[in-house]
Parts: sequence; structure tokens; C-alpha cells
Amino acid sequence: MRARLIHKDDLLKIVDLLRKDYEVYAPFYGRDRDTYFDTVTDANRDAIQVHLPNPYYPPKRYVYPHIQRLFTIRKGSNPAIEPAQDARKRAVFGIRSCDIAGIFHLDRFFLGNTYRDNYYEAFRNNIFLVNVVCSDAAVDIDDDCFCVCADTGPAARDHFDLQLMDLHNDRGEFLAVAGTPRAEAMFDHSFFTRATPEHVARRREILNDGRKRFKLATSWYSAATRFITEGMVTDETWQKVGNRCLECGGCSYVCPTCTCFTTTDRRTGSNETERIRIWDACALSGFTRMAGGHNPRKAVHDRRNRRFFRKLGYYFIQRELMPSCVGCGRCVSVCHGDIGMPHVVEILRRETLGGGKKT
Amino acid sequence: MTLHPRNLYEPKMAVLDEVRDEIQDVKTFYWHFENQQDQQSFRSFMPGQFAQVSVFGTGEMPLSLPPSPTEDRLFFTTRRVGRVTAAMHDLKPGDRFGVRGPYGNGFPMQEYLGRNLIIVAGGIGLIPLRSVIIYALDNRDKYQKIQVFYGSRTPKDLMYVDNLKEWQQDKGFECYLTVDQGDGSWNGHTGVVGTLFKKPGVEMPVENTTVFICGPPVMFRFVLADLKKMQFDDRNMVSTLERYMKCGVGKCGHCCIGLAYVCTDGPVFTLEQIRRLGEEI
Repeated sequence: MRARLIHKDDLLKIVDLLRKDYEVYAPFYGRDRDTYFDTVTDANRDAIQVHLPNPYYPPKRYVYPHIQRLFTIRKGSNPAIEPAQDARKRAVFGIRSCDIAGIFHLDRFFLGNTYRDNYYEAFRNNIFLVNVVCSDAAVDIDDDCFCVCADTGPAARDHFDLQLMDLHNDRGEFLAVAGTPRAEAMFDHSFFTRATPEHVARRREILNDGRKRFKLATSWYSAATRFITEGMVTDETWQKVGNRCLECGGCSYVCPTCTCFTTTDRRTGSNETERIRIWDACALSGFTRMAGGHNPRKAVHDRRNRRFFRKLGYYFIQRELMPSCVGCGRCVSVCHGDIGMPHVVEILRRETLGGGKKT
Repeated sequence: MTLHPRNLYEPKMAVLDEVRDEIQDVKTFYWHFENQQDQQSFRSFMPGQFAQVSVFGTGEMPLSLPPSPTEDRLFFTTRRVGRVTAAMHDLKPGDRFGVRGPYGNGFPMQEYLGRNLIIVAGGIGLIPLRSVIIYALDNRDKYQKIQVFYGSRTPKDLMYVDNLKEWQQDKGFECYLTVDQGDGSWNGHTGVVGTLFKKPGVEMPVENTTVFICGPPVMFRFVLADLKKMQFDDRNMVSTLERYMKCGVGKCGHCCIGLAYVCTDGPVFTLEQIRRLGEEI
């Protein structure tokens, strides 16, 4: 791994550099806690944030858009199907380590199984990821985060192009680590300077300290994985989880690893329709409803069972090489019924170990 | 079709040749691919596989493949039940629609070589099993005894009547029909499919036999109970599952049951596998 130093005042020079070749997205402050990723323009460039709470709407959408056109169908005398092409080069500045792990999960899912998803591949091949390590416990790290347990953070070990970490010293230094040759090539620019072993030691110190700042150091989901895989969780327990679900689907829409989608055709002109795919959520009651009305997963607790089985079942962990939970804590923050990942794991543990007694 | 098509979700253009009424609300659609090469590669399908069919402007749906790969013509049979099937029923000969596939595992007909085949179908459950029957008959010398048990609600609900007539005259295998409720014209057996098993003269071999079952859930339950009583093993009973599907290639997530994706791991499962999926069917 190659490392360099960069001064905090020079960080936006990385953005400027990227903007020559890429459409760049970066995080900004909205009102209060509200933060969001947006396209960087000349107007908002100076408002880019390095330390801020991770936006709820995940940057997953830059490799797997919320709504994506698959192809256009032209009707008429000679009907034709025209597949959508999107070879735009994109870069995300300030993506957190949990979201990097989320993208690795998408890679495994969309590209690692029998069929390769060409639409995902096109987006993935054209993206440049600048990871920012969550080092400011007061701002970056949320009460709901548990990446330390998911083993995805606070500093990603792989799958980024460039990683930036605030060394929190009075010289305003950031340590930059290159994960790919194209990021290493950026080190030729003069605003990157040599790092010393002392800086690397400082990095380790911050990470060690940072790990202690998490409220949820562990969510115990290795235990939950065992209970789920071995079928030890009773239907009554799932009903308890299901009773708290409002079926809004919010957990799926903020999840960096959720992959389900639905497709639909929509009219775009007098003789033209397009097929799009849209994120879907297993919490929604229509998720498994077939034509004719039969719904094999009608009960809400069956659908909650499904979500956590898919996220934590050993078979899927083996297949994607990681649990489908990266510990970003977004589902904890958005869930009205308080059944985000750590809380469900807690319910499963208590109910299963406590012999199904009331909690 | 290649295992790794360049574009996973792009259907190939197909042309509707002919529409035939089967029974009420059920039609058969004969079609061919616009491109000869697509036609050639598609024809490698196996009984039990399915295709994703697009009616442009309305959507896409999975349909099982009733023809056998040993036949010349390609066709789908579907009941008018939802939005896309309704749009399909409104198509006229000459209209274009989209097809991609074949998908799914299909029945492993090679593994069944030298075995007895018992095919039990109810109502439109005959659609996926028609492929098996024709395939087995076209490879008659490779299988032992072949028995078909088919039942529908009334004589008017019997599917593929031309085939049924042929099959009943064919001496090479046994074909038994029944209806739940006869009418004036019906002089055959009356009763649910399971009653055929006990009909005098019917002998079902239990050893070295694979049983194919497809039909409505009620029929499925009763037939299973009957077969269990006759000592058929779960591993030798196969069926195809249906699920809401949007991709057919294991990506959209809708058809997942327990560990299995119905589209890529199925839709054909043995009863033993179905019992282990861990969810309601």
C-alpha cells in the first residue's frame, strides 16, 4: 500500500482533479442532521464536507441506481429493442467504509454468481471511490453504527481507490492511501507529500481509539447467524419481530447491501416505451404476490423472517463472502418499529437463549 | 442460449403466428423468433424450463414451456389471470413480443432413463407436464412404463384435447382422464385425480419410478397423501414451483424460498427438496 500526506486545505484539489474526467458526487449538509450525497458543481464545491454524519440515502445508487432504464422499445412497422447505454465515468468523494463494503457485497451478488449483471458491471467499471475514514467520533460516528462488529470499518481495508484519513494533528494533515494504480498515479501531484512511519503509527492510534468510541461495539450477529442457520428461531419470535414492522420498506431503501428490484414498463412517447428497474423491498406485502392474488409470504413476520434469513443465513454469507450487513446502522435510524439489525439480533438472542420467554 | 448473454435483461423479438383457444380464459400462442439464430439456440431447452415473456408496454412474466424440444413449433399456453397475461391474450397474429430464456433447471430427463414415469396433472397443471409427456413418448424406448393421470373440473376444462385423443389411442403407454363433474357428453371416469389410482386395472409401480405432479394446491395435497400411502418416496416425486419473478436469472430476489432461487435452482424440485426449503409453498 502506498501512502502520502495531504493538507486539509488541499483535499478539494482531489475533487477538482477528479472532475476533469468524472462526474463527482460528494456529501453535503442539509438542515440539522440531514446530510446527502449530491453532484459536485462549481456552485457547491466549497460546501463539500469531510466530517459529517453518513447520509441515510446510501451512495449505493451510484453503482446501482434507484431507477434505471434497461432498454427502450420502439413500436411501429419495424419494432426494435434498444438497450440503454450508460458509460459515464463517476466518482464518489467521501464514501464511508461501510458503504465500500456494501459495494463489495453488490459486486459479489451481481457479478459473482452464475449470471453477470451487465448493467451493474457498466456502472461499477466506471466508478472511482474516494473513501473517508470515520475518525471524528463526535460527528462521523453515529450511536447506531456498528461497523466494528461487522468488520467493515472504521477504515476499509480494500475495494476503494483512494482512502483519506484525518490525522487530527495541529498541522492539519490527512493520510492518503492508494488502493489502485490509478489512485497511486494521483500521488504525482505536488500537493501530496511524503508520509513517515510516525504518521502511520498515528493512523493506528486513531483507529484504536476510534474503535472504543462506538456505542454498539458488537451486535452479536454471529450468534444470530447460528440460530437462523440452524432453524432455532421459532415462529413466535418472528411474529414478535413482525408485529413491530410497519411495512414501509425503509430498511431496504437505506441498506447499502439490498439488491432486490422490480421491473416495469412505462410509456415515454407516442410509439415508445421503456423498461425500467426500481429498487424493491421484501417488507412490502406485494413483494411475492403472484398474478391471481396468491401470496406465499402474506404474513408480515414471514417477510421479516425472509429479510434476516437472507442477511444472516450462513449459506448466503458463504456465497457473498460476507454477511449482508455492513454495520452502517441506517436501518436502526430509519425504522419506526425499532427493528433495525442490532435490535432484531438482540430479540433473536434473548428469545432463543431464553427458551422463547417474554422479553 | 448461451449461459452468459451479453445483456441479461434484453428480450429477443418474437412474432406471434397463431392463437388457439384451449379452454375458457386459456389460450395457446404459437410463435417464432424473428432472428433464425435466436430460434436455433432457444430450441436447446428441456422440459420443465421456462421463459420470460414481455408484452411491450405492459411488462414481463415467466411462462412455462409446454412444447417438447422434440417438436417443431414453439408455443406458450396461459390463462388470463393478471395484467401481462391479459395483454398477451389481446395480441393478434403478426404482433411482436419479447422472449428471453430458457431459464431454470428443467426436469433431468437424462437421470430418469430406464425408469417408470408417472405423470399426475390437474387443470392447467398439464402445461409444464405436456412437455415431459411428449418428450418421453418421442424417446419411448428409453423409459419403462409411462402412465398419465389427468383430471379437470369439467369436460370443458380439459386442456390440449387433440393430444389427449391421441394419447388415449396410443398403445405404448397408459393415459387416464377424469373430471370432477361430468356432463351429458362425458362417459369417462368421474372423480378427483386420486380416484384414478384405485381404478380397476391400474397398476402403479412404486420401484424405479419418478412421479411428476403439477396442479392446483388442493389437488397437490390430496394426490401427495394418496401417493405417500402407496409408499412413494419424496425423492422420487418432482414438481415445479411458481413464484412472482422479475428477472429469471437470480437477481431480482422475488422468487427466493429459503436458500433456493426458484428461477435458477428450480423451478423443478423433488418433494424432499421442497420440504427442506423451510417456507410455505
